[in-house]
Amino acid sequence: MKIEGEHLLPATRDRVWAALNDPDVLVKTIPGLKQLTPTGEDAYDATIELAVGPVRGTYQGKARITDKTPPERMTLAVEGGGRPGTIRAAGALTLEAQDASTLVQYVGEVQVTGVLMSVGHRLFGGVAKQLAGVFFKALEREVHQRADPEPVR
Amino acid sequence: MIPAAFAYHRPRTVQSALRLLQLHGHDAKILAGGQSLLPMMKLRVATPAHLIDIGRVASLRGIRLRQGVLRIGAMATHQEIEFSPAVRRAAPALVETAAVIGDLQVRNLGTIGGALIHADPVADYPATVLALDAEFTLQGPAGVRTVPAAEFFLGPMTTDAGPDEIMTEVAIPASPLRFGAAYLKMPNPASGFALVGVAAAIGLDQAGRCAHVRVGITGVASAAYRASGAEAALAGQEPTDETLARAAAVAADGVDANSDIHASAEYRTHLAGVLARRALVLARDRAMASGRRRRSASRV
Ligand SMILES: Cc1cc2nc3c(=O)[nH]c(=O)nc-3n(C[C@H](O)[C@H](O)[C@H](O)COP(=O)(O)OP(=O)(O)OC[C@H]3O[C@@H](n4cnc5c(N)ncnc54)[C@H](O)[C@@H]3O)c2cc1C
Repeated sequence: MKIEGEHLLPATRDRVWAALNDPDVLVKTIPGLKQLTPTGEDAYDATIELAVGPVRGTYQGKARITDKTPPERMTLAVEGGGRPGTIRAAGALTLEAQDASTLVQYVGEVQVTGVLMSVGHRLFGGVAKQLAGVFFKALEREVHQRADPEPVR
Repeated sequence: MIPAAFAYHRPRTVQSALRLLQLHGHDAKILAGGQSLLPMMKLRVATPAHLIDIGRVASLRGIRLRQGVLRIGAMATHQEIEFSPAVRRAAPALVETAAVIGDLQVRNLGTIGGALIHADPVADYPATVLALDAEFTLQGPAGVRTVPAAEFFLGPMTTDAGPDEIMTEVAIPASPLRFGAAYLKMPNPASGFALVGVAAAIGLDQAGRCAHVRVGITGVASAAYRASGAEAALAGQEPTDETLARAAAVAADGVDANSDIHASAEYRTHLAGVLARRALVLARDRAMASGRRRRSASRV
């Protein structure tokens, strides 16, 4: 299943890139992310707790940045699972400077198995889009906060 | 097909249901008609450890029409809505909607509150409550609040209601003079859910122009939405077949349409336009008929 979308963030590309590479920011912005542990360069173990309607699950996963060209583009590989099924995804994020803003585009190919697939198939795309929206809204907030001028010492 | 074990609670008041929800937190789920929740539990996609059955909470039942507002208890079943004289009088498009949900067994058990909270992107009511400017009452630990339908549906099975809140009531302004509404659905032949469903409402002014237009659409995007482009295109216009068709043509403009094994995004977008045109025509005809009926009635 292909998932894609884009979001315009009111911040410079360097700032958005830095935020996307900062585990502290990711913990605050990725919906349901409970824990993010670096396991090597550009590799993480993650625990995500999500409830979508009555479907509640804890998912364990691994994420790896497979390629990166700062501050333009990174490719990612994600795999994980929980009781409702497993997810394997590969995707790319591209950052395009548009005046003082940055257009972030994502595109990914996702494979889902288990009941998550058999029951959730028709919902999956919509859920992914909605969660991406929540993520980018939170990211916007974080980037904004960090953009505030340093207090004068 | 047997659900995991759970504890069963059957409170008699909203207060005690809320207390149970708070006590058990993430492990608890409200049980209404069970028509969406129980199938998911049988498949073990949902495994709540506590079910709080609100079927015996008397205050959540009942349908009243008072001072121009139709108030439907969250536990009103699809069947009760379909056959309620008050709903037929004040919001006939909701009767039309309830009547095409699932089958008799589902309508007999399923509730409007459960359907709205479940917010399946292909459910029927969301389109109609958007077109009728409904407002939902939610009760939680922080108190009571109301949310307009237009701000309620956020994504698949995701709404503005928090996990610790209970929907108690759906309020709909009773349709005024020269007002008409309609719900039309193209059912998925396999599931009966809406492939696309469109509810339209039109209110006419003295001169016969559109003073009020609402178009609610389900099945197309990941959440039901109001086709604001189509609504704007009709504001102040004379509702001829041509203007209605032009407005319907933009019913899915700017919308990220879903694509799945049942239908492509293109097909859903096309269907939204076709159904929007038909629903708008029907709403206009009903608005005109309602004006005529009331005028002749007042002459007697
Ligand atoms: C065979 C079949 C066909 C169907 N066809 C259609 C169709 O064509 N169109 C359509 O729209 N729907 C259809 N449905 C779904 C049906 O309308 C359900 O009744 C509805 O989605 C859920 O209502 P319920 O009362 O059964 O809720 P439940 O299944 O009991 O609960 C659903 C969810 O809402 C929560 N909840 C319920 N009530 C409240 C409340 N008052 N406050 C807070 N949370 C609450 C529950 O915790 C749960 O998460 C179909 C269902 C079946 C089984």
